[in-house]
Amino acid sequence: MVVDGVTKASFDELVEIETNDGERRLGKVLEVGSGKAVVQVFEGTTGLAITGTRVKFLGKTMAMPVSQELLGRVFDGLGRPNDGLPDPVADKFLDVNGEPMNPQSREYPTSFIQTGVSVIDGMLTLVRGQKLPIFSGSGMSHNILAAQIARQATVVGTNEDFAVVFAAIGVQYSEAQYFKRSLEESGALKRSVLFVNLADDPAIERIITPRVALTVAEYLAFDLGMHVLAILTDMTNYAEALREISAAREEVPGRKGYPGYLYTDLANNYERAGRIKGKNGSVTQMPILSMPADDITHPIPDLTGYITEGQVVLGRDLFRKGIYPPVNVMMSLSRLMKDGVGEGKTRSDHMEVGNQLYDAYSRAQEVRALAEIVGKAGLTGVDLKYLDAGDSFETHFLKQSPDENRNLDETLSRAWDILATLPEGELTKIKDKHIQQYYKGSK
Amino acid sequence: MSLNSLERTIDKVLSQKESALISEIDSALQNSLKNLESSKSSLQVEYDNIIESSKKQAENLKRQIIGSSTLNARNKELVIIESAIDEIFIKAKEKLAKSNNEKNYEKLLTRLIQDSSTKLGSEIIIQCNKTDLNLVKKLVSQESSNRKSKITVSDEVVDIIGGIKAASVDGTMSLDNTLDSNIESLKPLIRKEIVQLLRGENK
Repeated sequence: MVVDGVTKASFDELVEIETNDGERRLGKVLEVGSGKAVVQVFEGTTGLAITGTRVKFLGKTMAMPVSQELLGRVFDGLGRPNDGLPDPVADKFLDVNGEPMNPQSREYPTSFIQTGVSVIDGMLTLVRGQKLPIFSGSGMSHNILAAQIARQATVVGTNEDFAVVFAAIGVQYSEAQYFKRSLEESGALKRSVLFVNLADDPAIERIITPRVALTVAEYLAFDLGMHVLAILTDMTNYAEALREISAAREEVPGRKGYPGYLYTDLANNYERAGRIKGKNGSVTQMPILSMPADDITHPIPDLTGYITEGQVVLGRDLFRKGIYPPVNVMMSLSRLMKDGVGEGKTRSDHMEVGNQLYDAYSRAQEVRALAEIVGKAGLTGVDLKYLDAGDSFETHFLKQSPDENRNLDETLSRAWDILATLPEGELTKIKDKHIQQYYKGSK
Repeated sequence: MSLNSLERTIDKVLSQKESALISEIDSALQNSLKNLESSKSSLQVEYDNIIESSKKQAENLKRQIIGSSTLNARNKELVIIESAIDEIFIKAKEKLAKSNNEKNYEKLLTRLIQDSSTKLGSEIIIQCNKTDLNLVKKLVSQESSNRKSKITVSDEVVDIIGGIKAASVDGTMSLDNTLDSNIESLKPLIRKEIVQLLRGENK
């Protein structure tokens, strides 16, 4: 919407639009100049008449009222209550664009977050303050995994408060209901804040949703000292909205039509994770994005991968085999795992077991490929054991029920069960003392 | 072969068969005992698993019940507080509507008229409620002579508790300087103070 006769509007300024019927909508200034302001209306421009529509420049950017009372509440994509309850009483109002974290005051993430999902806890450990995205594909079970992590995630062995901020971006109504029900039924809603932006909501709302969610996450973490896990699903919808708005502004398109500043924009969101020296809380981010046509070189996963500290990739083959969660561990990595596991943090054998599982599963994949050519009869005894270990890894370790919450001991115990199918001599990544303590196979 | 030797042979065969059967029964018994013994341990594991999973389920259920009860209680509190806030606002507005005789109110109206004139330009049209009409006309005539601006007071009154609505002559720009809109914009801050009072958090 273009407003004429504007003299003092500012970029990003919030605008209230009143229709002829008295309906009020919100928008923000995208561009100003030559006495005109380009305003993007959050709720869409349908029904706005050229004459009679009134515009009020509010002289402020979009702010989110924050307080501890946000926990247990459900909001729409703009941060307005969506659960039939009154507006939250604000402790303060924070600009949704956030303030950049001083790099000097950032603290390196080193503490473990248990998700209850074996493959993540055992091999792709999430660390407080980390940003670890999940790369998925259309129709795969990323939303089920997101909801499971939101229900189960916890910091183990401390009495520190833990909260989940869940932002559903451009999701279908049924998916939104699933997230809400899932948190309600598990009793996890009381420590969660849910933001729901539906697929039929205007594109501009999707741009705001992660910002509003991260503003709340930062408040809970750095003002109230909580450990916050922010799950943003689906960031692909966010990037699509960014492309739509960029096209409307007639900007020069970049790769696949996305704006040239896609990297900067994604970084603005992803970098709102971490820990601050001298403060108790942390913001850990798990953005979820579905890769168009499962293409990991697509601009969205590609640029995301540059910013985040690793990635969890869901594999189509495993999904087709009926394995949940279908995490393709060979494509996945948690770059901060090494700093968040081990003696005094999780268990002394954790890192070694994770590495050995990678090694064994990688070898199993090679043996599978070989077996397809020469047949099982052409394999050596050790190869056959790796084949068994690979199958066992998928069925005993990787596969788990969406409502199964495994603690770390159970996860590592299952890992040792798989390693028990291999001869002791093959465990080259594990120290002897750990083999003596945990190895269950025949010596 | 004599009858005696036939009987002896039969006895011998019977005895051999008997001992073979007894040995088979013994071995079957031993096997059964062994199976029973091994089943005991696997049954114990199964039993432990069932107990463990039931405990987990019970724990989850407990957490779920406590969680949803706490949340429901909190939500009910929010609704009660909100209705109290609404009541307080209604009473405050009633009180404000009756405050047009106070001297401070005259000062406030003067400030609002000046503010509207500054923001919208020298030629503006002002609307107010029926009670304030004469007062506004008086203040506007003072203001017009002081500031050399052309301020017109519309005889068309509006339903507001106080303050003024101003618009530019061509109607393209308007300014809502009513008490109603000022209360609305300050509502989030006032709500916080009311809640603190209700919860006894104010020091």
